[in-house]
Amino acid sequence: MIYVENLRKEFKKTIKEPGVLGSFKSLFHPKTEKIVAVNDISFNVPEGEILGFIGPNGAGKSTVIKMLTGILTPTSGKCTINGRNPNENRKSYVKEIGVVFGQRTQLWWDLPLRETYAVLKEIYEVPDDKYHKRMAFLNEILDLEKFITSPVRTLSLGQRMRADIAASLLHSPKVLFLDEPTIGLDVVVKDNIRNAVDYINKQEKTTVILTTHDLADIELLAKRIVMIDKGSNVFDGTISELKSKYGQIRELHFDTDTENVKDILSYKEHFDFNDEDITVETEGSSVKVRFNSEAVPVSDMLSYTLGKINIKDISVKDADIEEIIRRLYKQGV
Amino acid sequence: MRQIKRMLRMHKIFVAQELKRMMEYKGDFIVGIIGFLFAQCTNMLFLWIIFRQIPSLMGWTLNQVVFIYGFSLIPKGIDHLLFDNLWAIGHWTVRKGDFDKYLTRPVNTLFHVMVERLQIDALGELIMGIALICITLPSVAIQWSLLKILLIIAVIPFATLIYTGIKIATAAIAFWTKRSGNITFMFYMVNDFAKYPVSIYNNAVRFIITYIIPFAFTAYYPAEYILTGNNPLFNIGLTIVISLILMVIGIFVWNKGIRAYESAGS
Repeated sequence: MIYVENLRKEFKKTIKEPGVLGSFKSLFHPKTEKIVAVNDISFNVPEGEILGFIGPNGAGKSTVIKMLTGILTPTSGKCTINGRNPNENRKSYVKEIGVVFGQRTQLWWDLPLRETYAVLKEIYEVPDDKYHKRMAFLNEILDLEKFITSPVRTLSLGQRMRADIAASLLHSPKVLFLDEPTIGLDVVVKDNIRNAVDYINKQEKTTVILTTHDLADIELLAKRIVMIDKGSNVFDGTISELKSKYGQIRELHFDTDTENVKDILSYKEHFDFNDEDITVETEGSSVKVRFNSEAVPVSDMLSYTLGKINIKDISVKDADIEEIIRRLYKQGV
Repeated sequence: MRQIKRMLRMHKIFVAQELKRMMEYKGDFIVGIIGFLFAQCTNMLFLWIIFRQIPSLMGWTLNQVVFIYGFSLIPKGIDHLLFDNLWAIGHWTVRKGDFDKYLTRPVNTLFHVMVERLQIDALGELIMGIALICITLPSVAIQWSLLKILLIIAVIPFATLIYTGIKIATAAIAFWTKRSGNITFMFYMVNDFAKYPVSIYNNAVRFIITYIIPFAFTAYYPAEYILTGNNPLFNIGLTIVISLILMVIGIFVWNKGIRAYESAGS
């Protein structure tokens, strides 16, 4: 359904020297710098799949989404969605996609919400009978009834986001792009939105690309994730693949009154760990040991530690998806 | 044909939305109209004070000058009324990345932007323009003919498109520079020259407002034809040709600009 090949986007940035004088200088002798926002990204999404598209802030997620939705023109590379190129014949392409940017709204700000849907009906040329059915359906899954007559400017963020998602679904798109649809929302609204996306995906086989910083969105909705950082692919696979690839990391937490634990324990020498398989952090009396449980089993680590020093409290933690991703974001892999 | 029908329908819907929007903010709407009428009245007062001192200007009588002035407000007012949203492109829509929404909708972006807003303040200009023409019409002795009436009706939309074309081209510069409102404004200021007979200016100004920023074709040249019947080929014909050239340039720059559009971080 969606094929992205070697997508690349460069921006030109004028470098301004500080101060008023610097601004004048750059007015006459502008120095420009090439910034590569997206560097060679490729992935595919089969029809009917929800893809979690994640990465730290500034990784280039929105830039990719904007290229896929036809807002930006790629510097090089190709994306094909539904057999179409977003930058060719834009008008007929966008009829088949729905787009929500959580940080912006496409609703008519000054008018009652209902009016937005009436205009979008015309813009997307939705016939009357289909429109009524669709509105009833969207109302059911997103619960719009209570505020559909209120002016958009008076809606709460949660209401506005639901309204925006409904707006993007009005024309029954085949592909839905959701860029941070749960940003700043409370738990209840998040649930409502996740359920709605899940339902639409199951009912209508809508392909969804979802970017978010809330990993619960990903765990609940997406089977597969593509992670990017600094404009490049970092990981592409299912969540269980991610867990088995990076999830053998365990964390040992304990409190001790022994001094110089690092020297006494010297895990690395004792178990012959590779450098990247073990880290030890101490903070006062509490110690955090992160290690690869495939290299050394948890039980060996425990008995060795308990035998060496005096321990008050000990716990072993699984690296959850959040931890894995935190590690990936930090290291950039 | 279907395309045009759809455009007209979209236009109707956007206008209806705008009227509803105005009704949401009635106070603002009424004050806007009053303010504009007031501004136009001060303009007229100023003209009247000047012409009390100088009864004729390079062969034009006071009534003729006022007629030209009134005529100049018609194309300007129509453009202002219908296509004012183009200003927003140069000021903030592109800079803030709000242009994204137009690109995700199955409507021609330029058309969508142009018809999205209705600037009711412009009614002040239109009312004033029509009033000035009506007041001066009995005393400017126009020779009427059917052809003339047809040409007058035909030339008004084209004179309007001169404004619109210049606005499109200068607004579209924002796709590269992020902000071009001041460029549009600079061009717009030149149109003040066009409200008076060009014969009162020196050659340089005359050349600029005829061939460089051809605002003289929005008012003086068509009005000269109406008043004197002289040179229809130049006064009317060239107005039409120039307006079409400007629209083509505007659309070309716009379409180029969209490909350079960079959105904004989010």
